[in-house]
Amino acid sequence: MSNLHLVRRADYSIKRVVIYYVIGILISLSIGAILLMSLNINPLEYYGRMLTMGMVGNSFAYKSVESLIKIFVPLLITSLALGLAFKMRFWNIGGEGEFLAGAICASVVAFNSKGMNPFITVVLMCLAAMISSGLIGLAVAALKVKFNTNETLMTLMLNYIMLYVIKYLGDTKADWNFFLREDSERPIFGEFPENAEMGGITIGFFTLQYSLIVAIILTVLIYFYIKKTKHGYEISVVGDSAATAKYAGMNVGWIVLRTMFISAALIGLAAGLATSTAGTVSDSITNNVGWTGIIVAWLSKLSIPAIFVTSILISVLQYGCRAAATQYPAIDSNFADLLQGIILFSVLMADFAATFKIAKREDASNV
Amino acid sequence: MFDVITLFLSSVIIYSIPLLYGTTGEIMIEKSGSLNLGVEGTMAIGAVAGYVAACRTNSLFVGVLVAFISAALVGAVFAFLTVTLQANQNVTGLTITTFGVAFYYFLGNGLSNSEGGWPMLGNTTLAAQFADIKIPLLSDIPVLGPVLFTKNILVYFGVLIAVLMWLYFAKTVPGLKLRAIGENPGAADSLGINVTLYKYIHIMIGSGIMGIGGIYMGLNMGGTFEGSNCWINGYGWIAIALVIFANWSPARAILGTVVFGLFSTLRVYNVAFATAFPGVLGWLNKIPAHFFSALPFIITLIVLILSSMRKNSSSGEPAAIGRNYYREDR
Repeated sequence: MSNLHLVRRADYSIKRVVIYYVIGILISLSIGAILLMSLNINPLEYYGRMLTMGMVGNSFAYKSVESLIKIFVPLLITSLALGLAFKMRFWNIGGEGEFLAGAICASVVAFNSKGMNPFITVVLMCLAAMISSGLIGLAVAALKVKFNTNETLMTLMLNYIMLYVIKYLGDTKADWNFFLREDSERPIFGEFPENAEMGGITIGFFTLQYSLIVAIILTVLIYFYIKKTKHGYEISVVGDSAATAKYAGMNVGWIVLRTMFISAALIGLAAGLATSTAGTVSDSITNNVGWTGIIVAWLSKLSIPAIFVTSILISVLQYGCRAAATQYPAIDSNFADLLQGIILFSVLMADFAATFKIAKREDASNV
Repeated sequence: MFDVITLFLSSVIIYSIPLLYGTTGEIMIEKSGSLNLGVEGTMAIGAVAGYVAACRTNSLFVGVLVAFISAALVGAVFAFLTVTLQANQNVTGLTITTFGVAFYYFLGNGLSNSEGGWPMLGNTTLAAQFADIKIPLLSDIPVLGPVLFTKNILVYFGVLIAVLMWLYFAKTVPGLKLRAIGENPGAADSLGINVTLYKYIHIMIGSGIMGIGGIYMGLNMGGTFEGSNCWINGYGWIAIALVIFANWSPARAILGTVVFGLFSTLRVYNVAFATAFPGVLGWLNKIPAHFFSALPFIITLIVLILSSMRKNSSSGEPAAIGRNYYREDR
């Protein structure tokens, strides 16, 4: 038998975690560089283009920032929402499905909103999205509380059920189907009337969309919700140990229902904002935030400020790869996913190195 | 008239066997107490690596072997992260899916833009090795013969794996020990079973089996690489659903595979059926194809909820599933 074994480190140092994480990310980028070189692509040039997102020497650089924000806002809100559920050890991996449900309901409002006040329209869209997504989350939580049904698998199934619902809406030409364009023979999703589109503050050519402001305010609110309120405290106790929470007199079932409703409703809000920003709906409206959000929340160790920063970095990675893909035919935007995967693997290893250490097994006779 | 039925049932078998590989592989992993959500990615990596190797060597055997080994290596990554490093299983599995599908596109795009280009299947000897094999006598039975006994070698192999795995769980000592680990790793450990070793081996073999399902799908698609569509196309997720539907039994997985295959094939054949039997099956025309696509997930959701409501002891779900085992937390 080897006389080495793993022990949990007694102390927890933020500095150590950060250093290990940075090393992990650097290693991942090096692996990415090797992969790029195997395609005869200069990795420095590629990473350069990725990080600058094709903005250098481009008089339309402000467009890139606007596109980046469009990726960033839904990702940030979804990651925050998923993080809330994960903190409670509730495996809501149904971000995709909840997002799609929200997007569908927001579109129902949008397509029927002709002539309404723009502000009221967008608010109604977001409310419809939040309620529909929130109810799905609530149903899952209720089954979990009542029958202990596996929530991971339940939410996973819902992702695909919702995906086929929206595909059905997008492919079915019928009188009742107001989702589609009327002037087209082929089924195509229609565009929202102008009053359902997200406005913004115009600065020169650049439009700062209101959704970004909403997302930032939301981040601050959720930070205080988790850190300063009784609700936030209850979530973390349930996450640590449901038994402890129960013996402390907390109503665990109620906490799970409430938190899961909020988590799913926030994803609905992200969907409402995203559809309004896009001005239309489609089965790819989620941009995979339900999946990426899980990675973001985990990379950030469920810390709210870290989720904010990580969402920016992942958005840059995704948009940057998309922008760089136009320059290199041998590689497509999926390279972002590849890098994302490698980064998460290395960070998981870094995380392990920061929480465990290898120690010599002590001889039993010494104890 | 019988032609439609024969053709339909034949397609059911051809298109659902990859599901059987994914499902049996996932059952083996889940029986060890680990929930691997990376089926889709593992199959994608096995598919692309196996297919390229098969084309380069013109040998189906080498292709299947490479598919198995490459997917098993992905399994090794999952095992290393979750068993040794105690990382979260959901997150690790989902990342394997993201990574695996992205790797598929990476290799596919890279090869398509290289000098040699993407290897084509065409009329190579490889394609001949994947052709249907007629089993003497049995293949002469009407309807059943062409449906069950005139299939490519990977169909038979998939069924063989499922049967062998069923025997392994039910009749052998290592199978029993594996199930013990899935139920209660602490108790298994105290009986002197090497939990870590068992988990590693079974996660790797299970992933390898998924990889064979991957190369099957690639060959089934004629080996054409499209920049926008992955060969696996959601089959990995259906396989995860199927594990629940099959109640974690490899034998029931064969049945479940045919049932789920029936739905996904009906998606294509509903119009043909409605035309062939307008009286009895005319209504099939009215059901949208998307409903058949969603049906496996809807049924699994219902099964999942109903079985948790009943809470009977006949459920094959390993009790310790999804939870990492850290000896010193015991």
